[in-house]
Amino acid sequence: MKKNFHKNRKKIGYIVIILSSLIMFTPFITATLNSLKTYAQYTAVPVEWIPDPIRWENYSDVWQMTDFALYGWNSLIVTVMSVLGAILSCSMVAYAFARLEFPFKNSLFFMVLGTLMIPPVVMIIPQFIIFRHLGFLDTLVPLWILEWLAQPFGVFLMRQAFLGIPKAYEEAATLDGCTPFQTYWRVFLPMCKPQLATLTIFTFMTKWNEIMAPVIYLSSAEKYTLPIGVLQMSGAWFGKEQYLVAAAIMSLIPILIVFLLTEKFFIKGASSSGLK
Amino acid sequence: MKDISRLFIPLAGVIVLLLAGCSDTSENQEEADADAGSTGSDETITLGYYSSGSADEKMEDIISQFEEEHPDITIETQNSPYQQFFQKLDTQIAGGNAPDVWLSDGVFVQKYAERGAAKDLTEWIDNDLETDEYYGLDFNKGPEGKYWAVPQGIQIGALFYNKDMFDKAGVEYPDDSWTWEDLKEAGAELTLDTNGNTAENAEFNAENINQYGLTFFNITEGWMPVLKSYGGGVLDEDLQTSVIDTPENLEAVEYMTDGMERGIFTDPSDLQAFQSPMSPFPSETAAMRIGIYARTLAANETGVNYDVTVLPKGPDGERFSPVIANSWIINEDTSDAKAEAAWEWIKYWVSEDDVQRQWAELGEAVPVKKSVANSDMFLNSGEKPENKQAFLDSFEFADTLDVNAVWSEWVDQMTDNLNKTFLNEVEEEEALESADKDVQQVLDEFYED
Repeated sequence: MKKNFHKNRKKIGYIVIILSSLIMFTPFITATLNSLKTYAQYTAVPVEWIPDPIRWENYSDVWQMTDFALYGWNSLIVTVMSVLGAILSCSMVAYAFARLEFPFKNSLFFMVLGTLMIPPVVMIIPQFIIFRHLGFLDTLVPLWILEWLAQPFGVFLMRQAFLGIPKAYEEAATLDGCTPFQTYWRVFLPMCKPQLATLTIFTFMTKWNEIMAPVIYLSSAEKYTLPIGVLQMSGAWFGKEQYLVAAAIMSLIPILIVFLLTEKFFIKGASSSGLK
Repeated sequence: MKDISRLFIPLAGVIVLLLAGCSDTSENQEEADADAGSTGSDETITLGYYSSGSADEKMEDIISQFEEEHPDITIETQNSPYQQFFQKLDTQIAGGNAPDVWLSDGVFVQKYAERGAAKDLTEWIDNDLETDEYYGLDFNKGPEGKYWAVPQGIQIGALFYNKDMFDKAGVEYPDDSWTWEDLKEAGAELTLDTNGNTAENAEFNAENINQYGLTFFNITEGWMPVLKSYGGGVLDEDLQTSVIDTPENLEAVEYMTDGMERGIFTDPSDLQAFQSPMSPFPSETAAMRIGIYARTLAANETGVNYDVTVLPKGPDGERFSPVIANSWIINEDTSDAKAEAAWEWIKYWVSEDDVQRQWAELGEAVPVKKSVANSDMFLNSGEKPENKQAFLDSFEFADTLDVNAVWSEWVDQMTDNLNKTFLNEVEEEEALESADKDVQQVLDEFYED
């Protein structure tokens, strides 16, 4: 009886998971189907769900009509530099807040968190003026440099991770002759891989999809990142919106790859910690 | 794990190099600019424009033709899609780094003018341009009579109708004798529910519509032409006072809500069922639309069999066509030499027949130069609609959309209030009363110092 109930509960669980993932997946499937339609089909009322004929050419057309590879490369530079910057700067600052003693530590930490409350729009113009004076306009630098200055969300995330590691590790490392920096780098950082993976995915996704900053800082087409490059085409693809969808799907692929690569760290997460 | 320094030092080096590389080039650039300025001959200006249609390539093409004819002027372009372009522009203006000359949506010209970002072009226009030869120069005049911009292309409203749908329903095509009531009557015969009943049929189900009589969207292609031809409107002549709460507007709004309730006109929630609020007409789900000239592009793209005529009259015979003159603006902060170079570009754009013709060929906008707009090339291009003359005839009763420095802000307030009554949430009187208050508040916040 009890076993049966357990079995059923598992079944119900699966049904719920399947249903909810179907709901989550529908927009993605719709978009994929839309990307394979002709414009007439794309706008048809009532909606024609299944493309007929399937236009794979939409994808090759997009590849030929845009500098997709160039925009992708620019996006990659921005994203990789951002991820590196976020991981290094956030974890260092967070380590200091979590494990080191210095005056005004707590007030400073609250100040860092406080900056999370400043709405980003009010910073656009001051940042623009600063970058202008630094001569960074129309370069990729403004798109990633801020990540090297320890963004508060990442600091908070990493600080919580470091706080969760028992002090015994730190003592053991000190006994073995580690400096505080070596303790951070060799002992603590490797133990926080799940959080680093989280930070990586977050930063990757935000930067890969970012529109506002590239629009404001980039002027020449050869510096465009993918979202802005694709958006740029939206005018020229007026009446051919199926291309926009195809381009959007194409620019999703790298995010999927990064997610699949870092996914195992998410799952390992909780289980791998603790002293043996 | 490897020693930290092995990773960090090269990484730091890379960053320093990247940063140095960037700031270096821009300094050189500035020096180069300064040198060019001191010799007094060669001028490099930046030109900003928003991408529209398939027009970007043509724009770049015309720019290089200009550079060939003006070897002492070099133009660097900055372009982005519409929404992003204006976000960026506002940031650039605040940061003191706006382009020397830019293309502005007609409805934003006064915003830049009254905030001191646009250069006063009155003198140059008076000296260099025959104002009678162009459409729309006056649409950029502020209330004080100064010219702030020169039109790049003109969007003017007309009534689009789907000939096939009219034929099928056996309804006569619209013409210049139509009033808005005539439109609604014809619209009723052209509105079909899922069972094929027209809006005149007793069994008609207004909840389940397959084909609308008229697609109706927002201000330009929705309520403004109706309000104005009923003798109403939003702002009075000084553009600082709301005149929303009037009997004329009430009559117009009641006309519109009745049309929406009966399912003949699309209401704001109907439009959400479409890929875009622009798609009912090109996808042949609506028999008519109020449309600016640029809407011919989408209709031609999907191959609708359609034509246009002037917009209907109000009950007292008054007619109104909305007009938006998208225009070139020169940056108030730019140097005199650059401003003059920018003026050369503007003159080249509006006065060269060949340039006007090349731009008109795209079918994006009504040409600014009257001689080109009235030529065969524009009127009888072979592309639909056949009766392009209707757009030109509409200039006689065309006006702007009560454009002032806080246009976007008051339009938001007005739209919110009107949508509530369009969706049957509040009575018409109440909506107008509340819109009047909200719009006046927006105006007072800006003008009352």
